[in-house]
Amino acid sequence: MTRPIEAPAWEVVKAGQPEMNLGAIEGALGQGLVVGMLGGFRAILADFLWIRTSTIWERRDRVKLDAMIRLVTTLDPRPDFFWINGSRMIAYDVPNWRIREEGGYDKVPELRQHALDLEQAEQAFDLIDEALEFHPGKAKLYLEKGQIYLNRLKDDANAANWFLKASQQADAPYFAARIYAELLRNQGKNEEAYVFLKELHNSLPNVPFAQKGIILERIRELENTLKIPLWQRFEADKSLGASESESQFNAAVPAPHQHEH
Amino acid sequence: MSPLDFCTRIRLIAGTTFLEAVRQKFFNSLLLISIALVGSSTFFQQFDFGAGELKFITDFGFGALFFFGSILSITATTQLFFNEIENRTALTMLAKPVYKLEFLAGKFLGAQLLMFCFTLVITLVLSGILYWRESALLDRLGDELSLDGPLIRYGDVFLFGFLQWLKFGILAAITLFVASFSNTNLYTIVVSFFVLVICQLQYIARDAYSGMEAGWERLLVFGLGLIFPNFQLFNIGDQLVFDVEKALPASTVLQITCYGLIYAVVFILLAQVNFRRREI
Amino acid sequence: MTTPAIRIQHLTKDFSVGIRGIKLRAVDDLCLEVGNNEIFGLLGPNGSGKSTTIKVILGLLEASTGSCEIYGKPSKQVAARRSVGFLPEAPYFYRYLTGHELVRYYARICMVPRSEIDRAVDSVIELVGMTEAAHRRVGTYSKGMLQRIGLAQSLVHDPQLVILDEPTAGVDPLGSAGIAEIVRELKRRGKTVLLSSHLLAQIEGLCDRVAILHRGKLVQEGRVDELVEAKDAESLVVEGLSPEGRAAVEATIEAQGGRLARVEKPRLSLDAYFLKEVQQRESEHAKKVRGGESL
Repeated sequence: MTRPIEAPAWEVVKAGQPEMNLGAIEGALGQGLVVGMLGGFRAILADFLWIRTSTIWERRDRVKLDAMIRLVTTLDPRPDFFWINGSRMIAYDVPNWRIREEGGYDKVPELRQHALDLEQAEQAFDLIDEALEFHPGKAKLYLEKGQIYLNRLKDDANAANWFLKASQQADAPYFAARIYAELLRNQGKNEEAYVFLKELHNSLPNVPFAQKGIILERIRELENTLKIPLWQRFEADKSLGASESESQFNAAVPAPHQHEH
Repeated sequence: MSPLDFCTRIRLIAGTTFLEAVRQKFFNSLLLISIALVGSSTFFQQFDFGAGELKFITDFGFGALFFFGSILSITATTQLFFNEIENRTALTMLAKPVYKLEFLAGKFLGAQLLMFCFTLVITLVLSGILYWRESALLDRLGDELSLDGPLIRYGDVFLFGFLQWLKFGILAAITLFVASFSNTNLYTIVVSFFVLVICQLQYIARDAYSGMEAGWERLLVFGLGLIFPNFQLFNIGDQLVFDVEKALPASTVLQITCYGLIYAVVFILLAQVNFRRREI
Repeated sequence: MTTPAIRIQHLTKDFSVGIRGIKLRAVDDLCLEVGNNEIFGLLGPNGSGKSTTIKVILGLLEASTGSCEIYGKPSKQVAARRSVGFLPEAPYFYRYLTGHELVRYYARICMVPRSEIDRAVDSVIELVGMTEAAHRRVGTYSKGMLQRIGLAQSLVHDPQLVILDEPTAGVDPLGSAGIAEIVRELKRRGKTVLLSSHLLAQIEGLCDRVAILHRGKLVQEGRVDELVEAKDAESLVVEGLSPEGRAAVEATIEAQGGRLARVEKPRLSLDAYFLKEVQQRESEHAKKVRGGESL
């Protein structure tokens, strides 16, 4: 009698509770905790392990850090918090530790520094790719990859790709598209940036966070750079004022090494 | 005897059961511990997790509600039932023109009323802490987060509380069923806790069943899935509250509610079958 | 012929004891009738089956064989208990309620109409002499007060049959006398009372008929006077007889074919003596207290 009621409800609930790789977890947690985890304390167990991860991070033990991040994300892959902060630790903090281990920024050659950055970034990308299997439409994850390319690897081309992908997700923040356009400009692709920004301006709603004024400013800058004749220039929505400043755009772009964990 | 008389007697018995229950030191201690535990989740702010802190507080609060609520549901129901038997107030009551089913239903509802108060208090405390921390975080990080509204759906916090309360109801009904044939408090509590663990893990067998070939093993697993309710259906707290795209549909909530009610009623009726033959 | 208050026919009750399910026979082929408007005593030592019999009457236990009816209705039916009030042995009630709240609670359970509840509650509380203490919590009551409030809850719905299980156990003689007086009042009001006890002295002056159980079997049943009187002897109580007169009486008895078995001083029972002494002092004390209050 209960099956017709339970079955559809269980399908919905189960969809929100992804499978766990029990083999990977059991060795680390032990059977007692596995039972507790299966029994409904999964989220809270992952939270406590994340707090442990933070203390390991403070001790700068990168081997244990890596293991703990893997454990927490395997235990509970649902919150993007663990994936994003984990990848940030791997991509930003661990290279700094390794460089310091090898003598510091003054002593370690730039090539070696870049190699370490690349090695750690690849590990972070692997983690984010795993996260995307659980959260295929999550803009934050695409953004994270883009930011690692941009801030750590100084790779504008790849960063641009990922900021574009981020801007195409349903929950994308407005700045993702603006940064993509800016990265196109950095690469000298002004024509592409100009076309993109015009389409972007027309597609955005008239809300403060959309920062249409800044987009318009960039369009005007590009029109000057590209020497677009006046009569061919972009006609903006007249209801929007033109007083938004450069500082508002800069405030939307996160500075390097600032992450929440 | 009219249905109204039936309901009146159940209501009266539930009322005295509830009054007796809130006077129990165990309930008051457990409530204070739960509130203290939920309150202590504010220590997460020292880690500076940013918006993630709210997830930690929510998980901690939901976990405390689930853990302590389950303990209280089992122990309170057991104590309320056996107190009546041992003090022989059950004798005085059942010597009146009262059906044993009315007695059981009244005990169950009294215990559920207790659990309602417990769940409501914990949910309110949790919501209060979340609101306080959310406000603080929005003041500090509001621009960075670029939000159109609050971080948390408070309706979902209370929805989770409601679903946990339903689950406690099934647990109380199961405890009453065990108590109906058990002779001691301890046996009832131990068996009920085992049943709780089985119900929490039942979904593993249930999912395995769908991949099994026909045979006695499949039949056994099917039977287990039917006898023991799937408590994982009610553990959806971490899917609620934050994830905008995956908000729980109203139809699912209704299905879970009906599922819970059916199991509670079935276990009470099974308890009644035993209790009718029990010698007080 | 009116329906008896209780009719028990060939009642047997076995209990399974232990894992092997060995049967313990608590009541063995009991046949009993309790008539209307009488005080019936169910007597017997501990373990004689009194409580088991009462539980079967109340429908709390099922008979292994035989039947039991209350005013013609099978005792298993809930409807049969509408005309029954019950005071259990060593009653325990919800300690946090006042006496008044407790009796009112049970009145509502028994579906006493709302329009009559207040009158019914006040009336039974007055009957049992608990008016002054009714607004105190039950947890503060003495043993005797608990018995009285227990009586009140058993009477609040005006049952025709009242069953009292060891109503005077643990109660002092003064309290027992008070309870006995209430039982007599119930009879005066037309009620039938079944009480069980192993305190025979307290029962003797109260019951119209008794049944004596031993190891689950009915040993004797009948009117108290008929059961306890000596069948082959009479006693004459004589006052102011001189020694010569006594000798003449002895000679007359012998001449008539009798034999003077013994000469005794008539005795009050210790219960009666105690009551005589204490009740007098209680009423004097009550008068002094009332006199002090009115000054």
